Amino acid sequence: MKKTRLFLISVTISALILSGCAGFQTSNNDEANVNEEGKTVVDFWSFWGSELRRPIIDKIVADFNASQDEIEVKHTYSPWGDIWTKELAAIAAGNPPDVVINDINATALRGKENQAMNLSEFTGGDFSEKFYPELWNATLYEGDSYGIPFNTDTRVLFYNKDAFEEVGLDPEDPPETWAELEEYAAKLDIKNDDEYERLGFYPLWGVGYDVWLLNANGENYFGEDNNTDTVNINTERNVEVLNWLKSWRERIGVDVVNAFQAQIDSQQGNPFFSGDLAMIVQQPTFYQQISEYAEDLNFGVVQLPEYEPGNGHTSWGGGFVAEIPEGSSDPEAAWKFIEYLTDQEVQTYWAVENFDNVANIEGAEAAAQSGDLTEEGQMVYQMAVESMENTLLTPAPVEAPGYYNFINPQVDEFFLGQKTAEEALAQAEADIKNLIEKNQ
Amino acid sequence: MGKRKLTMRRKESIYGYIFILPFIVGFFAFTAGPLLFSLAGSFTDYNITSQMDFIGVENYQSLIMEDGLFRTSLWNTIYYVAFSVPLTTLGAIFISSLLNQNVPGIRYFRTLYYLPAVLSGVGVYLLWMQLLEPGTGMVNLLLGWVGIDGPNWLYDPDWTKPSLILMKLWSVGGSMLLYLASMQGVSKHLYEAAEIDGASRGRQFFHITIPMITPVIFFDVVTSTIGGFQIFQEAYIMSGNGEGGPANSLLFYNLYMWNQAFGSFNMGYAMAMSWILFVIVFILTIINLKLAPRWVHYEGEEK
Amino acid sequence: MAKTNEETKFSDEQDRLESQSGTNTKIRYWEHRGNRNNMWQILNFVLLAAGSLLVLSPLWWMFATSLKTMGEVMSYPPSFFPESWEWTNYIRAWQAAPFTTYTLNTITITTFVVIGSVVANSFIAYGFAKIPFRGKSIWFAIVLSTMMIPGFVTLIPQYVLFSNLGWVNTYYPLIVPHFFGSAFYIFLLRQFYMTIPTELIEAAKMEGANHFYIWWKIGLPLTKPALATVAIFSFNGAWNDFLGPLLYLNDENLYTLQLGLAVFKGQLSTQWNYLMAGSLLVLLPVILLFFFFQKYFIQGINLSSGGK
Repeated sequence: MKKTRLFLISVTISALILSGCAGFQTSNNDEANVNEEGKTVVDFWSFWGSELRRPIIDKIVADFNASQDEIEVKHTYSPWGDIWTKELAAIAAGNPPDVVINDINATALRGKENQAMNLSEFTGGDFSEKFYPELWNATLYEGDSYGIPFNTDTRVLFYNKDAFEEVGLDPEDPPETWAELEEYAAKLDIKNDDEYERLGFYPLWGVGYDVWLLNANGENYFGEDNNTDTVNINTERNVEVLNWLKSWRERIGVDVVNAFQAQIDSQQGNPFFSGDLAMIVQQPTFYQQISEYAEDLNFGVVQLPEYEPGNGHTSWGGGFVAEIPEGSSDPEAAWKFIEYLTDQEVQTYWAVENFDNVANIEGAEAAAQSGDLTEEGQMVYQMAVESMENTLLTPAPVEAPGYYNFINPQVDEFFLGQKTAEEALAQAEADIKNLIEKNQ
Repeated sequence: MGKRKLTMRRKESIYGYIFILPFIVGFFAFTAGPLLFSLAGSFTDYNITSQMDFIGVENYQSLIMEDGLFRTSLWNTIYYVAFSVPLTTLGAIFISSLLNQNVPGIRYFRTLYYLPAVLSGVGVYLLWMQLLEPGTGMVNLLLGWVGIDGPNWLYDPDWTKPSLILMKLWSVGGSMLLYLASMQGVSKHLYEAAEIDGASRGRQFFHITIPMITPVIFFDVVTSTIGGFQIFQEAYIMSGNGEGGPANSLLFYNLYMWNQAFGSFNMGYAMAMSWILFVIVFILTIINLKLAPRWVHYEGEEK
Repeated sequence: MAKTNEETKFSDEQDRLESQSGTNTKIRYWEHRGNRNNMWQILNFVLLAAGSLLVLSPLWWMFATSLKTMGEVMSYPPSFFPESWEWTNYIRAWQAAPFTTYTLNTITITTFVVIGSVVANSFIAYGFAKIPFRGKSIWFAIVLSTMMIPGFVTLIPQYVLFSNLGWVNTYYPLIVPHFFGSAFYIFLLRQFYMTIPTELIEAAKMEGANHFYIWWKIGLPLTKPALATVAIFSFNGAWNDFLGPLLYLNDENLYTLQLGLAVFKGQLSTQWNYLMAGSLLVLLPVILLFFFFQKYFIQGINLSSGGK
């Protein structure tokens, strides 16, 4: 008992000492956004904390701070995904940061709900022309922007040139249409009994069914202007596309699909690196992994094939915006930083250092020419820039938040053979129309 | 005499309230406000940042009458609770009775079985996603050794919930600890007396050990039922992008609530969901509490 | 010192039993029982050993991944044993974020949480278990109810509350509530207190002891295994807490280990080897603590069985 008490006492004493540290000092001046040097402090939250990205964003922030007499940006890393829960709580409590990197697809919704600030007072003139229009439009709610596009992505087709050569295909002439895609894939297959030694292609690795729907339609479910007056889900073409996708699955076999799928999902052991898979749809940043883990792979890259000739190489993307949360203590200073972040120079720097697609058109085009990239890197980046022209985003319309929660399970059931494509899409369309009605 | 008894009772009451005072203070300071707020919010269209207008019972009405996903998520959750609670309880009792013996290296064994319970967070779920991969994962590899062709686990809607239950069983060490602590409290004299009477190991286990640990079994069943209904993070991480797929098979109650609250910002709706869950769990707990006197044995209880 | 506590105790027991036996028949009886006990023990050991393989194999996977190069992690089919044992992964993982600072921060928070949880919950639980008072069942129902409302819906109002107190970006929201008890531990300890014979408490009262004294002198010692469990659980909970530090800490100098581990899981890719190495490093103190804390379970036997 004596020992226990001694232990308790020593723990208590050390606890008291510990309580002297910073974590126990409450700041009584919440509103203070000025540091010791009298500079306005801009609190900037991002989820870029990895070994690769952290130094890049820190350098960008340091450069900005060095150029400013009045403003100092303080960058804080917060975990991917969870950062937005934290942001929301801070907005609700009225004490948010000044700039946050957030998902572009929900920007309009956040504008509608008063989470993000209306930036129209800053975005006058031809400011918007710096960005890909598709990205810019995704940030608009009732015509005003609520976040400035920072980076983005697209989907392109990577293919193994050696495998093409091996089966007598021209490595410089990748598939242009869905029909060619199927034809090439069949040629590239190597099958021993039931085992695939090499698989040509499977459309649902790297992307979901929705990208193929987008590619075939050239527009999103909600029409060109993403307006919920139109809901194009249960259409003939969509039924056809789903059945086409399923035909791949049936031809290759569910077990083979699952085995490959698992490898790809786990981000470990991608069969494209080892040559076990000849073609795969991926983001351009996939190139970084290739150069790291499959240096010697002789690959090419091309835009997504067309549904039929002339239909367009429509691709799908997403991205992130820099936004000012509602309640920021100094929007003017925050805006100065956002303007800097999305300007050509910083965008090119980000693009080249990260091998990431950026939202600023000039920034992206300059990156494709950058001498800091390898020849292969330039080739992939150039293809990414070309694909961006045909890339659509699928932000949720404000009347249909989370609409995909109604389509995805139906399509799952279709692929599992529990529903026909018509049944699945009809149910999804009914559910989503219901959702829209509820939110109007 | 009567007067004295009264003051005794009053004195006991005062003591009682002094002892639970910290809880009462904490409850009013930190918990009661947010709870009441969420109850009030469930009757509004609260979206966290810009609106909170009274809409009556509309949230409750559309949840119960119209929302198919609500029903799916409730069904998934009940399925999970119905299997995971009995299985983990039995598993934990079994393992802790093995660990309550004097065999060589018992300290290492105890530490080892407790390990999975310590490991928590995203890393573990990601680890299990690898282990459960149909083609290359270790689980199917091991099953293959004994001639079983393993299922597609997280890719097959029929196997997703069993996958999570399997994972839960692996980390049963947490409740194992409770049972162990309880078994260690059982008086040795009881076993010695039984030994002299010639009672077999099995009889000793069912007639001494089990009755003596019923207070903890009761605790475990009640808390793991409550906890089971709140399963979230496993599904959030292991169902791909947190949507509860494939085919909504992992769309648990709390996951759906989360998507409503922080995905679509329908916080009022989510708050209504949470109070429906509260009522369900509360009723189950009351049933548990009412049934308890029939099988829970407290050594120190007044007759 | 080679023998562990239990092993010594076990052989002591055997000695005692052997010396007790007086007559020949009795000796045979005990030998017979001994054999049966040995058989049970062997079976027990075999079961434990087999089970531990199942428990360990996922951990082996984790350990193996932590020692691979990223190239090997990405290769297919995955290897069971690392090709080259990259111990430097551990150093690099540790340096990927200021983990030393994070460790100190986590220790600070955890220390307070454990003290608060053990003291407050055992105090409150004693009241619920051993003192009859009016309104007890209502209050107990309220205790249980606090477990039943999902945390998500109270997350925002609670944050606003702590923000108004000026506690955001401090450790207070992570620590202070633990000094006011939490339902899970109150319920748990209540169950243990309930098994203390009421006569014991009545007897102490007869001698003029008040409830504080009884709690301190009888309640606490008799529930040591349960207190150890609460200590381990609350340590574990605070050590692994992610959501609390995520929400309330804004300054990276105050971050905890779990927030640090998140850097390995990014938007596009996961650094598996570092994530696993980091997770194992973070796990280590918890394992050690448990390993050495076990003896409190053993002490529990002696006290509650009144054996000494």
